[in-house]
Amino acid sequence: MLADALEHLVRGIVGHPDDVRVTSKALRRGALLEVRVHPEDLGRVIGRSGRTAKALRTVVTALADGEPVRVDLVDVDRRR
Amino acid sequence: MEETTAEAAEPTVEGGAPAADATTNGSKGRRSGSISKLEEEGDIAADYLEELLDIADLDGDIDIDIENGRASVAVVAEGNSHRRLQRLVGEGGDVLEALQELTRLAVQAQTGDRTRLLLDVAGYRAERRASLTALATEACERVKASGTDTRLEPMPAFERKVVHDAVAAAGLESESEGEEPKRYVVILAPTSGD
Repeated sequence: MLADALEHLVRGIVGHPDDVRVTSKALRRGALLEVRVHPEDLGRVIGRSGRTAKALRTVVTALADGEPVRVDLVDVDRRR
Repeated sequence: MEETTAEAAEPTVEGGAPAADATTNGSKGRRSGSISKLEEEGDIAADYLEELLDIADLDGDIDIDIENGRASVAVVAEGNSHRRLQRLVGEGGDVLEALQELTRLAVQAQTGDRTRLLLDVAGYRAERRASLTALATEACERVKASGTDTRLEPMPAFERKVVHDAVAAAGLESESEGEEPKRYVVILAPTSGD
């Protein structure tokens, strides 16, 4: 659910929604959500002084309802 | 005192109406778009939020309105979902502010223009508005009785706006001082000339 929610939140605010991928990994200290976006959108999901990234983390953490969750933003180029 | 002049330069992405956050309460909505533009903003925001509620399995109705020249979208509790919706408000409204920011960006992504859309969840802003108005009105009585300036607790832009409006309604003047996120309202004692 968290990965789907995050994917929806990010898709709505980027210029290339079809390039948004969110993967979820279970780590010992809780879930890790990795968000991949089109390179042109990375600035958009980070925002001025990291403001948008912070907003995404705040909402996802709230939806996790007390479970520890980490959100990493990656641009798709870095995987290739 | 010079700090107060920086108010209008405050980023518009804050929760409230920055330019109207100063003591100039009479000029609301001068940057407001046309009605159809605001309706479009509300519709985009509602779609964005509705799908989020769906994914998160949270029940809520979405009300769209236009207030003071801006789109206003409220997620209201449906049945007994009020308590679960609180997680989208957060402590001191921090989650609500974050969700409002994302919703504004979602609107901007589709329209290409910035929006001053206001989001409420589970009546949080409405309740805050009522209690802040009462607090500000009481503080004004104390200022009138004592004749000294009174400084209130730091609060976000939206809430300072509510306080400024209540102070103006009580016939006094107020200013915002300090830096975000510790910016606060000072209610000014009437000068002897008044």
